[in-house]
Amino acid sequence: MASLSEEVLLVLKKVRQRKQDGTLYLMAERIAWGPEGKDRFTVSHLYSDIRCQKISPDGKAKIQLQLVLHTGESSTFHFSNDSSALTDREAAKDLLQQLLPKFKKKANKELEEKNRMLQEDPVLFQLYKDLVVSQVISAEEFWANRMSTTNTENTLSDKKQDVGISAAFLADIRPQTDGCNGLRYNLTPDIIESIFRTYPAVQQKYGENVPHNLTEKEFWTRFFQSHYFHRDRISTGVLDIFSECAKQDEKGLKSMVVQGVKNPLVNLLSMEDKTIEEGYGFSAAASTSNPNRTGKENSNSAIIKRFNHHSAMILAAGSRRGDAPNDQASETSSTDGNSRDSDLFQPPIKKVKLQEAIDYLDLQREDGPKTVALNLKKSDRYAHGPVPLESQKYTTSQDIINSITCIRHEMANYVPNLAQVLTSSAVSSAIAALSPGGLLMQTGTQQAINQMVPSEVQGELKHLYIAAGELLRHFWTCFPVNSPFLEEKVVKMRSNLERFQMTKLRPFQEKVQRQYLSANITGHLEDMLQTAYNKLHAWQTRRMMRKI
Amino acid sequence: MKLNIEGLLVYFPYDYIYPEQYSYMLELKRTLDAKGHGVLEMPSGTGKTISLLSLILAYQKAYPLEITKLIYCSRTVPEIEKVVEELRKLIEFHCKETGEVNNFLALALSSRKNLCIHPEVSALRIGKEVDGKCHTLTASYIRAQRHSDPSLPSCRFYEEFDAIGRQIPLPPGVYNLDDLKEFGQKKGWCPYFLARQAILHANIVVYSYHYLLDPKIADLVSKELTKKAVVVFDEAHNIDNVCIDSMSVNITRRTLDRCTSNVETLQTTIQRIKETDASKLKEEYRRLVEGLKEANVARVTDVFLGNPVLPAEVLQEAVPGSIRTAEHFVGFLKRFLEYLKSRLRVHHVVQESAPQFLKDIFQKVCIDRKPLRFCAERLRSLLRTLEIADLTDFSAITLISNFATLVSTYSQGFTIIIEPFEDRTPSIANPVLHFSCMDPSIAIKPVFERFQSVIITSGTLSPLDIYPKILDFRPVTVASFTMTLARTCLCPLIVGRGNDQVALSSKFETREDFAVIRNYGNLLLDMSAVVPDGIVAFFTSYMYMENIVASWYEQGILENIQRNKLIFIETPDAAETSMALEKYQEACENGRGAILLSVARGKVSEGIDFVHHFGRAVIMFGVPYVYTQSRILKARLEYLRDQFQIRENDFLTFDAMRHAAQCVGRVIRGKTDYGLMIFADKRYARADKRGKLPRWIQEHISDGSLNLTVDETVQLSKHFLRQMAQPFRQEDQLGLSLLTIEQLESEEMLKKISQMAHQA
Repeated sequence: MASLSEEVLLVLKKVRQRKQDGTLYLMAERIAWGPEGKDRFTVSHLYSDIRCQKISPDGKAKIQLQLVLHTGESSTFHFSNDSSALTDREAAKDLLQQLLPKFKKKANKELEEKNRMLQEDPVLFQLYKDLVVSQVISAEEFWANRMSTTNTENTLSDKKQDVGISAAFLADIRPQTDGCNGLRYNLTPDIIESIFRTYPAVQQKYGENVPHNLTEKEFWTRFFQSHYFHRDRISTGVLDIFSECAKQDEKGLKSMVVQGVKNPLVNLLSMEDKTIEEGYGFSAAASTSNPNRTGKENSNSAIIKRFNHHSAMILAAGSRRGDAPNDQASETSSTDGNSRDSDLFQPPIKKVKLQEAIDYLDLQREDGPKTVALNLKKSDRYAHGPVPLESQKYTTSQDIINSITCIRHEMANYVPNLAQVLTSSAVSSAIAALSPGGLLMQTGTQQAINQMVPSEVQGELKHLYIAAGELLRHFWTCFPVNSPFLEEKVVKMRSNLERFQMTKLRPFQEKVQRQYLSANITGHLEDMLQTAYNKLHAWQTRRMMRKI
Repeated sequence: MKLNIEGLLVYFPYDYIYPEQYSYMLELKRTLDAKGHGVLEMPSGTGKTISLLSLILAYQKAYPLEITKLIYCSRTVPEIEKVVEELRKLIEFHCKETGEVNNFLALALSSRKNLCIHPEVSALRIGKEVDGKCHTLTASYIRAQRHSDPSLPSCRFYEEFDAIGRQIPLPPGVYNLDDLKEFGQKKGWCPYFLARQAILHANIVVYSYHYLLDPKIADLVSKELTKKAVVVFDEAHNIDNVCIDSMSVNITRRTLDRCTSNVETLQTTIQRIKETDASKLKEEYRRLVEGLKEANVARVTDVFLGNPVLPAEVLQEAVPGSIRTAEHFVGFLKRFLEYLKSRLRVHHVVQESAPQFLKDIFQKVCIDRKPLRFCAERLRSLLRTLEIADLTDFSAITLISNFATLVSTYSQGFTIIIEPFEDRTPSIANPVLHFSCMDPSIAIKPVFERFQSVIITSGTLSPLDIYPKILDFRPVTVASFTMTLARTCLCPLIVGRGNDQVALSSKFETREDFAVIRNYGNLLLDMSAVVPDGIVAFFTSYMYMENIVASWYEQGILENIQRNKLIFIETPDAAETSMALEKYQEACENGRGAILLSVARGKVSEGIDFVHHFGRAVIMFGVPYVYTQSRILKARLEYLRDQFQIRENDFLTFDAMRHAAQCVGRVIRGKTDYGLMIFADKRYARADKRGKLPRWIQEHISDGSLNLTVDETVQLSKHFLRQMAQPFRQEDQLGLSLLTIEQLESEEMLKKISQMAHQA
């Protein structure tokens, strides 16, 4: 068996599927079940095919695990080992929980991508229906060379935009009581990612402790229990693995504060020119902060600090990637250490900010190049309109203004040249000759076809053309046939074509013939197919000759 | 454009002008013509500074003998730098238009901290340390010592300046702080002393309030400035507090302890000098006998400590005999110190006037009034004689001697309050002696008397009549200008009720009320969903904000707000708040949107502008009354009532409303800007509160928006924001709130403008 070489992660005996006892195997890439006594699997799912797993509620007599696939099918496993059914199930569930997300991403992405393509492109969707749903070719074949194009596209646009973090992600983890003095937190991978991105210290802890010291579940349980998560962060115990995180946060906050601000206009430290010396002043006495604040006040100010830190971290997480080079630049400048350096960097920002602050834009005459205001009648057409492929040659609005004035000028000076026009009788005869049924237009029956054939038949014909085109494209891409794979494929394509002719084209022809005996509208399609057959035939005979 | 302001040609460096700017210049011109003082209120963002500068510059050019100098005082360093930049623009424009070469010298002056270019000294960054370090390098006796011992450290920038720079005046031009530094670097001269010297002959000086109002500094820096000058106090809405601050002293037990050790140091130093160089002390004594204390006119670097009292009060006689010798003086200080210590040992609150204090000190330890008055002067002389370089260590003893001089000089306008503990913690002994000034007019009086014209101006000075009263001067012009608007770009709303009809108020009785806090939370939550980009919210005090934030956190309101915007909160720590502010702006900039929770009277409310998307709405939670239980405040209120016939409540409301106006005024910084101003307290609806808001805010409060619920507020806000988000072009403003020169000169417009100034 091929699967022997696979790594088996977990084996569970006495698992029933469809009322049959058997063994459940969890392998590196798939889950499989085989009936007792036989050495082959009757059920086997790749993890990437599984959408989710469901478990039976705790109270139920039957302890079951259900796997729901992306296709909508599902398999249910019943754990029937009397002594260890529950632990077995939990073990399987936990393992799956760890494994599924890994595969899920990949599978989901592909599926999403396909789905998106079908939704965005109605023609492709029709083609998909014509070819795959009617089982002319299989889905894999259909996607095989579509995806390759999308993949290259993907790599181009792979630097996709990062999604920011919701400021309220911690609020979204609403604890729910489970009825017996417990709290249940629902964590999704998104939330976990948010936590990691906002608090790198937690991620570090996670890396250090999971899975060597703690399971993932234990880790998060401790996270929520720890003071780190809660507001009263002051009295963090030594045992708490997160106390270090809190310290790191504090450090981070301090270093942020020490770094100071770049914009001199918001730097409150350098606002005052002459600070009132210690001991002088009227208000100074009122604001002397007494060091012995009560515990409550202390925790209140801790909350305030935490909010500032949280918001700053979220902001930083959002802009981290984009600003990375900038940050580095500023860091190198600050690592030189001494303050003179930063002074050298300061003036430009300061100048700019000061200028910004004193400028009254509306008092100045607007200068700069004259522009033409965009006047949109239908703004949605502007937003979704066709994009010209080669629009390298831009015209500036100045050019447009120039050309408009130019045209205007020309129009003003326009004098019709009446000496060189045809006589009216010649013109009318030419028009008559060119009208349908006229002298020059007698053979044109084509132009009548759109009047002869009802629109639904036209539509159908269009689909047929697209489908045939797709198949023929597959066919013709096989040439020149220089590998065994292509040989195989070309033969298969021929049968596909034939099948298409039989199942799609013929019925259509018959239908058309029943209604409109005269018109042969599928002739061209047949010609194309015939050309393909001829080509294949020629190739086959040539090959036979070579073999001989 | 060139303007004709009642016969004066004014160069205005823009192509268009706001009508109120023209009107403002008119009033200003009249004030200068009358050689009197003025109080002018004009909304922020209507180009107050440039109007002021344009007119005064033109006036100076036209009548160079009438006004020789403009002294422009602002509050913060960025403000000072902004003014200089505007000035630069103006002077460049002037030169371009007239074709003349600029012969004006304009410069900014700031403390050593902002001007020092000495690599080691400037690295200290903290004002006091920089000053002290500078002094150890540049004091005259240090430099004299260096003659015998060249290994002593020196500041090459100062030496260079002293050798060459003193003789060469600063060439005409506009010098901002950075320009001065650059110039100093290039020449190798000390920018600080260069600037100090240059302000004497400069045409325009821009510096901070303290250089004129704090007698300790004014004596050193601004003493020799010409009388024929115009003094402008910009952002002057808090000027009374600055005056009071500069004259008040607080003494704690810690101060006294440090004092004791200071006195000991003095004693040992005197002892040592006596053994080595007794002639020095004898020489000092001789000088003091002759009353020639100023004869050895101290070099500019030596005079580190100014006299705490105003120049007019400094006695022009010899130091009395009882404290002439160094030992006697130290003994005198010791006695004084012991007396203060005994006073701090009280168990109940004591409040007394200065004469009472003097009488008591005479009875208990036989200290006369006269030697006390000379205390500061005598200490200065002693410290100089002893050649103690780093004076930062002696701040405690200086404080005490300043207190001695102040308390014996002024019998009026001051009060002494001794509190054995803080009100909130009655069990912890922390005695403090407050010597507090209650009369702001004392500090500012010499300014009014000395200079020809003093202009007090700000965006929020309402009610206008109160400033002349508390500062005790008689202005020739008092005017308030409103903002002409082509579209109503500000939307003041008063939220009086929650959706459940609970009255919203921050007054003491309902402060802890759960329902009020919840409704405040809902207001912020709903607004966060409606308002784009930045929202700023102000609370009445830091304590109040902390409590509300905690209870919002418990109720989950903050979490819900976080779904819409990031939250940043002001903290008592300035560095932390700066960071929060910057992040706040970043979040507004990148489109995420943010809320800044801040405190009225805090640093943010005083110095930071929230232009355009940095503040689309400001919410004022409650009325920012000052903490009324403070004894100092009570004493001040009493004084105001007795001296100026200002009722306590009137003053408290005035004070609260000027801070509220400051807070909400932060969002509108110009006519293209727009913002919501939400007053979340039902008390704002009352006429006595509303009437004290600046006119430019008041006139946009409609009767319908006096007592809104949260829902109504949200609806009105939505409507307002949608309207404001429409494109707003220059053409929309032209002729209404923006004028070309032709429009300005039309008969009709001139008539309209002349009616605009609202005479209070």
